[in-house]
Amino acid sequence: MDTEAKVLRDLSAYDIQQYQQNRYPVLFIDYVEEAIPGESAKGFKNFTFNEWYFPAHFEDEPNVPGFIQVEALTQLFLMTFLTLPGNKGKKTGFVSIENARFKKKIIPGDRLDIQATLKSYRRGLARGTSVGYVNGEMACSAELFIAVPDVLNQFTPAGKHL
Amino acid sequence: MTDLEKYDDTFTTSFSIQQEDLKGLVYQGTPAWDSVGHMGLIAALEETFDVMMSTDDIVDFSSYEKGKELLNKYDITVA
Repeated sequence: MDTEAKVLRDLSAYDIQQYQQNRYPVLFIDYVEEAIPGESAKGFKNFTFNEWYFPAHFEDEPNVPGFIQVEALTQLFLMTFLTLPGNKGKKTGFVSIENARFKKKIIPGDRLDIQATLKSYRRGLARGTSVGYVNGEMACSAELFIAVPDVLNQFTPAGKHL
Repeated sequence: MTDLEKYDDTFTTSFSIQQEDLKGLVYQGTPAWDSVGHMGLIAALEETFDVMMSTDDIVDFSSYEKGKELLNKYDITVA
């Protein structure tokens, strides 16, 4: 079992999948440049015209749907705490998404650079922010509240009986 | 504000319920007291009373009444 958190760098899509359970076609980050467990993570997603949703959103004006932007922001955020000792590979779930903002249309060919910051992680509950940039310009952001059910259930009266 | 009033206030605020709902309230006895709500309640109580509860006590905290009993271990008199 991993017992010591250390800074991770240059994680490929394969590496990322060792830490979180999102898989194609809903893995929305390509590369993690740096993950500081318990603190922050930065990485990116390249959007090419071959993405499965561009023909449908929209045929004459392809752009990245908002829910995918939120998912990309979230998946990078997950790397701030799924890299903590004991959390590797655990499933996660949304508790809340607040103040989601979409400032710029993201189109085929864009690279979304994401910076995520963990404000708190305690007993399976993570709070923080994630901000996406395209060409240095803020494109989207959200405040995220995420649960790790496996961990959370260790602290609940019901979990005692599972 | 007494410790009991603080305790009650933490419950009613955390779960958006009324004072009269507290007696007999158990874990999952109101929609907001689910696993996430439980962690929110514990965090709020720890902040209110400036204590750090043990894992065993967090798991044993299965009702409004049981919580009173557990907090007594931390020299907080809410019973």
